[in-house]
Amino acid sequence: MPKIVQNQDPIETKDIPGNTMIEMIKVSRTYAPDIKALSDISFTVDTGELFFLIGRSGAGKTTLLKLICNMDTPSKGLIEVAGHNINNLKGKKLAHLRQKIGVAYQDFKLLSDRTVAENIAISMEVSYKKPRAIRQRVRDLLEQLQLTDKHDALTGDLSRGEQQRIALARSVANSPRLILVDEPTGNLDAATTERVMDLLTRCNKAGATIVIATHDASIYQKGNHRVMELRNGKIHSLSRNSR
Amino acid sequence: MNFWFAVFRQAGRNLRQTWTSQFMTFLTVSLSVLIFAFFYLIYTNMIGAGDRLSDDLRLIVYLEDDPGPEMQEQLRRKINNFDKTESIQFISKSDAYERFAEQLGEDSDVLTDMPRDFLPASIEVVPLKSLRGYNQIKLFSEYLATLPGSEKVQYGQEWVERFYYFTRLITIVVLLSGTLLILTATFMVAYTIRLTIMGRHEELELLKLVGATNNYIRTPFLLEGTLQGLMGSIIGLSALYILFQWISLHFTGPGLINLFHFTFFPPMVIVSIILGSIGLCTIGSFTSIQKFLKI
Repeated sequence: MPKIVQNQDPIETKDIPGNTMIEMIKVSRTYAPDIKALSDISFTVDTGELFFLIGRSGAGKTTLLKLICNMDTPSKGLIEVAGHNINNLKGKKLAHLRQKIGVAYQDFKLLSDRTVAENIAISMEVSYKKPRAIRQRVRDLLEQLQLTDKHDALTGDLSRGEQQRIALARSVANSPRLILVDEPTGNLDAATTERVMDLLTRCNKAGATIVIATHDASIYQKGNHRVMELRNGKIHSLSRNSR
Repeated sequence: MNFWFAVFRQAGRNLRQTWTSQFMTFLTVSLSVLIFAFFYLIYTNMIGAGDRLSDDLRLIVYLEDDPGPEMQEQLRRKINNFDKTESIQFISKSDAYERFAEQLGEDSDVLTDMPRDFLPASIEVVPLKSLRGYNQIKLFSEYLATLPGSEKVQYGQEWVERFYYFTRLITIVVLLSGTLLILTATFMVAYTIRLTIMGRHEELELLKLVGATNNYIRTPFLLEGTLQGLMGSIIGLSALYILFQWISLHFTGPGLINLFHFTFFPPMVIVSIILGSIGLCTIGSFTSIQKFLKI
C-alpha cells in the first residue's frame, strides 16, 4: 500500500513546467461603498511562464496582484496558486507559500531606516537562510543591478529608481517560484530597464513563474509571451505576443 | 540561520530601536516589584512574629478559691468540652505564692509579711496551636469567664487585639498594593510592546508579506517581555535586599526589628517573585502582539 505523505510546502506540490501556477475563476473585487475594482476575471498562468498584465492606471492590475499574493481577498470567485485555494491557507502554510512568492510592490514597501542590504536580506531571513549565503546573494543581486556601492546606504536616502531596483532585488532574493512585479520600470531609464528585465528573464529561465503588471509597452512587446489587458476591472484582451 | 538566532537578533534590534521606552518599562517593573516585595516582606515577618508570639499564648483564669480535686476534674472536662487544649494546669494559691517569690528572686523577702494565700488560685490554659485565631481566642476567653468560680480571664487582650488588627491591615495593604502593582507592571509592559508594534507596523506588515511565520514575528516581543520581567524583578529584589541590609545595620539593638527577628525572603519566595514577574510581563506582551498583529 503506498504511503501517503502530507506535503508541507504547498507551492512545491505541482511545481512542474506545464502545470498551472495561477488559476482565477470568476474573480471579482468590490470595495465599499460599491466600487468594482475587478469583475469576473478568469485566466490561468502556467508554471514557468512569463505573463504580462497591462492596462491604464486604475484598470485593476495592482488589485489583481494583491489578490494573487493574498494581500487582499476577493469578494467573489476562486483563486488557486500551485493548485491550492490561497484564501483557505492560514498560519504556517500561508507563511510558507508567501516565502515562495516574491513580490515587488508599486510602493516598494522598503524599510527606510534600514540599509539596502538589510532590506534585501529580510526575505531570506524569514526562510532561515544561512547568514553567509544571504550576504553572498545580496552582493550578487546588487552587482547585477549596479547598486554595489549602495550596500550600506539607508534606503530612505536613495532615489526612486534605486528604491525600485532594491524592491525588485528583494522580491527575487529568496529564489521564489512565483514572482509578482508591479510596474518594475516606472522610474527607470532605458539602460536600467534592460538590466531589470535581464534579471527577471534570468529568474524565469531558472524556472520561476513571473507576472509583470506594467503599462510600459517597451518591455511587453518583445518576446513570445502572453499579455492580458485589463480595462475598468475587466479582461479586455488576452493574447500571445509573437514579436 | 536557525529560528532562535533570527529571534534573538530581531529582539536585539527592537531593544536598540526603542531603548528609551524599554528603559522606562524596566524602571516601572523594578519599582513595582520593589514596592510589592517590601510590603510582602513586612507581611511575612509579621506573620512569623505572630507565630512566635502565639507559641507563648496562654489564658489565665483567676478563681475565687482553690478548687478541690473533684472540681478540678469538672472544670477540666468543661474546658475541654468547649475547645481542645494543649494543656490545663491548676495553680493553687500557695503555688502562686511560690512562683511569685521565685520570680522576685533576691527581693522575695518583701513577701515575708504577706499571707501565703494572698494571691488568687488560677488555671493556665494553653489552647491548641491550630485554634489560635483572634476570634477563637476571644470566644474561648468569654467562655472561660463563665465557668463557675471564675473571677477574671487574662491573655494580654489588648496586645493580641492590636497585633491582630495590624496584621490584618498589612494583609490588606499587601493584597491591594500587590494587585495594583501587578496590573501596573503588566499594563506598562503591554503598552510599551504596543508602542513598539505601532512604531514598527510597516516592518511587521512586510514580514508577514515575505512569509514570516506567526512565531517569527511574535517570539521577539515575548522575549522582550520575559527580559523585562526578569531584569525588573532582579533589580527590584536587589534594591530591597540592599534596603534590608541597611536597615539591619542601622537599627540593630533593642528595637522593633530585634523583637520581630526580621529576616529576608527564603530562596523559594525569591524564585517565585522572579517567575511571577516574568509570567506577568510575558502575558502583557502576548496580549499586545495578539491584539495588534491579528496573525
